[in-house]
Amino acid sequence: MTDQRVVVVVGYDGSDDARSAVAWAATAALALGARLRVVHAVGLLEHAGMAGHGHVDGVLPLKTAVEAGLDPADVEWHVVDGDPCGALLRMAEPPESAVLLVVGSRGAGAHAGTLLGSTSLELAEHAPVPVTIVPRSGPPG
Amino acid sequence: MTTLVVAGPTGIAEHDGGSYHPEQPARMFAVMDGVRALGLDDDVVYAPVSDATHAELSRVHSPAYLAELEAFCARGGGDIDPDTYARPDSWLAARRAAGAGLAALAELDRRGEGVAFVPVRPPGHHATADRAMGFCLVNNVAVAAASRTALGERVLIVDWDVHHGNGTQAIFWDDPDVLYVSTHQHPLFPGTGRPDEVGGPGAPGLTLNLPLPPGATGDVVRSAIDEMARPAMEEFAPDWVLVSCGFDAHQADPLGELELSSGDFAELARVVAEFVPRPGRLALFLEGGYNPGSLATSVEATLGALLDAGGRPPAPTSGGPGMAQLQADRTERLRAIDRVHTEVGP
Repeated sequence: MTDQRVVVVVGYDGSDDARSAVAWAATAALALGARLRVVHAVGLLEHAGMAGHGHVDGVLPLKTAVEAGLDPADVEWHVVDGDPCGALLRMAEPPESAVLLVVGSRGAGAHAGTLLGSTSLELAEHAPVPVTIVPRSGPPG
Repeated sequence: MTTLVVAGPTGIAEHDGGSYHPEQPARMFAVMDGVRALGLDDDVVYAPVSDATHAELSRVHSPAYLAELEAFCARGGGDIDPDTYARPDSWLAARRAAGAGLAALAELDRRGEGVAFVPVRPPGHHATADRAMGFCLVNNVAVAAASRTALGERVLIVDWDVHHGNGTQAIFWDDPDVLYVSTHQHPLFPGTGRPDEVGGPGAPGLTLNLPLPPGATGDVVRSAIDEMARPAMEEFAPDWVLVSCGFDAHQADPLGELELSSGDFAELARVVAEFVPRPGRLALFLEGGYNPGSLATSVEATLGALLDAGGRPPAPTSGGPGMAQLQADRTERLRAIDRVHTEVGP
């Protein structure tokens, strides 16, 4: 039988901000009775194994989500080649049809004081569903 | 003999992300090795290049984005995203790269003959109206195309880079004077370029995406352009043909998994040249291509095919996957065009 529950999607790029966003998204998914999909977008350099941040895997975000109270069966790690903003926007369209998109306030590559490269602001402008931008509240526990 | 107009190389000293980054200044040396290997001597003309003006850039980029990029560079630059960087002089490099495209078209116009090649850094086809990404700051081919549509001319852009040119697609999404045709590996960055992305209500069918699976060989790419895109390109009847000629679909390139040889690019160039309406209306803009060796041989093969010059390129490739997918995607594409027409109404 198909799981009819709604989906919350959170972007994850390996940064501390993204991990805070996963913790918040897990709490939101619990409250909504939703499944959580953690999405990592693979850029040009990471696809070629040339990224400065190295390989990003799902171990840490999945651990964070479970620690927030989600059943491991309700958390999915999803890797997609693409631009982070575009990848998350597509998650708001059918068939995924996420009801909520969650991101950290600044990603791994973004610079404070500029709108350039800001996935969160791009999402807030273009997403057809609510977007939550989670500020970093200190190193996740 | 047909003249080769070269507008570049640019961006060698101004824009350097460090030795780890594949989009590096040494690419220009490889490209120019390919040009020299053609042995054209007096049949090469180097067009004088000026920096594109704000007005020329603003045809495709928002003034707010341009101001932000300029200010970011003036503050010293940095990493815009995990792929894309800017340095203090990158704003200059971006304006010069776009200006090179404009210079190439102006020189072709003045001569009334020739083929132009625009070897520039940073590349451009991922840059959208208001966003830098995928190594790209300013969309060079879009700036050039918009300079001609502003004169009431129609522009065909063929993009055979291994990555989809999301920026070019988005900029001309609803523009009836531009036909954008792209072959690209899918799935791959930037994630766009599905067959059902066909253009907006003002230009249904004028975006034509031909995604290819990893492992696709030159015969599949050639079929995509020569057979799948041919009717749309013939019907469009362009005044100009611009090519986003990334060479990262080469089998030796580290950023993609297509299997083209340098000889395949020669074949693609011959196909695209069939749609050039008259002499002096074809310009090729360098996009990707990150293996110096295959970059040099691919430039030589591509330009050599157009100018009947250079050595004999490696044999074209064949037998890879993707033919069946092209057929299936055609149906999906036609349905998508119908949907756009239905939404627009009579």
